[in-house]
Amino acid sequence: MNQVIAALDATWRILAIGVLLGAGLPALFAVGVRALAWGTAAEGDAPDEDAKLEPTLVGRLVAYTMFAIVILAVLAGVGYIVAHGFGLKVTFNGLMPVITPKS
Amino acid sequence: MIVTPEFILLSLVVVTALAFDFTNGFHDTANAMATSIATKALSPKAAVALSAILNLIGAFLSVEVALTVTNAVIRIQNPDGTPRADLVADGGHTLLLILMAGLAGAIIWNILTWLWGLPSSSSHALFGGMVGATVASLGWGGVKWIGDGTKLDGVIGKVVLPALISPAVALVVAFIGTRLVFWITAKIARRYQEAGFRWGQIGTSSLLSLSHGTNDAQKTMGVVTLALIAGGFVDPVQHEIPLWVKFACALAIASGTYIGGWRIIRTMGKGLVEVLSPQGMAAESASAAVILTSSQLGFALSTTHVSTGSIIGSGLGRKGATVRWSVATKMVLAWLITLPSAGLIAAGLWWIGYLVGPGAGDWIVFSLMCLAALYMWWHSKRDPIGHHNVNDDWDSGRSKPNPKPKVPVSGGVG
Repeated sequence: MNQVIAALDATWRILAIGVLLGAGLPALFAVGVRALAWGTAAEGDAPDEDAKLEPTLVGRLVAYTMFAIVILAVLAGVGYIVAHGFGLKVTFNGLMPVITPKS
Repeated sequence: MIVTPEFILLSLVVVTALAFDFTNGFHDTANAMATSIATKALSPKAAVALSAILNLIGAFLSVEVALTVTNAVIRIQNPDGTPRADLVADGGHTLLLILMAGLAGAIIWNILTWLWGLPSSSSHALFGGMVGATVASLGWGGVKWIGDGTKLDGVIGKVVLPALISPAVALVVAFIGTRLVFWITAKIARRYQEAGFRWGQIGTSSLLSLSHGTNDAQKTMGVVTLALIAGGFVDPVQHEIPLWVKFACALAIASGTYIGGWRIIRTMGKGLVEVLSPQGMAAESASAAVILTSSQLGFALSTTHVSTGSIIGSGLGRKGATVRWSVATKMVLAWLITLPSAGLIAAGLWWIGYLVGPGAGDWIVFSLMCLAALYMWWHSKRDPIGHHNVNDDWDSGRSKPNPKPKVPVSGGVG
């Protein structure tokens, strides 16, 4: 029974962080994709499928900010994998990652 | 040096372990790449090449390899990773035969599920094979069925519970992610929606491939090194992983990935649900987030289960998409029987090897595995699936058994 409780304890953490990162980051990416089409003929209730995409300045800025956040998150993921491969343990002090050797 | 039966068995175990690593590679290409291939974010060949390179890099990144891979489920090692003294007293033969039969059982199950196009977990197959061979050899007490206290361990804590929980979690995350991205991008031209997310998909697939390389290649590295310790070729106190073991395992998993388990890629990318690229990115992000979070929490899950859960979740999340539940049901059934099936095959092989005795018995186990693999490979040629037809429509009849040719009966009255 203890095993089930331990598993459920892990489950809600994985679910919470999973939704935050696994669903949140694609959503930010989606905002970026949408921002590139802001105010152009490619956006609307009946978007013009043949419209050439000419993003507005604001749209561009928003989109690139979103893409940058997603890219940083992916790089953080790569960094995490690499650190683990080298036998380091990454813990989080608040939001600040702390890298220490595995015991 | 004198070639002893133990040395021959050790060589066979190493070859079998590398073969397992190879099947591990092609069985799991789909986890990272199936949706990217289905949405044409990457061409089939580019996808497997990218995945293979990242698996290779990932494998070399595993600098600190745990020797205790099998410790979670069976008791053949001391807590520090060295093999139990009573199992290596006879030149290591007892331990080596367990490893041999366990690996062979895992390989046969992996190839069989590939033939069926079903994504089953390679780690479950490996654990199943080891459990089966251990039960046959040491009895039920040789297996750690359940962990003590609240630390997740044993067959229940490391295999059964994660297998039940992880696909469900991935499904929920992918469902939410897919809903969000389609809601946000509903009002833009389909063309730009697809194109934008294809880029995102390449990033998330790559992350999954890299993570697979670091996680899975080192399982085989651990098993090979354990075998070398048992055979007396690696100092049990230092137990450094020899460099050639790393190279061989990295190459085995990367070449397996490059071969591509097209049958499984097809089932996951086309069979479960039709995938659009926003959906693909949501599914892959969900998998990556769940896998990395679980690894941080020490929750041992199977990438295969997570990826499948994510793809189903993304199908449920997109309005208008239908999940083929008949395909999903088959997969879940395959998951449920993976551990016991690989275990039964391994136990059977162990008994054959044991009854025939050292020397000939080892060769017979090895040969039986090779014959089974060759037979299944030959069988797959009747309905080949490769990069040329991996994206064909699922319902067009290709995936169904060949209809019987209607040859008019000549002569007679008909």
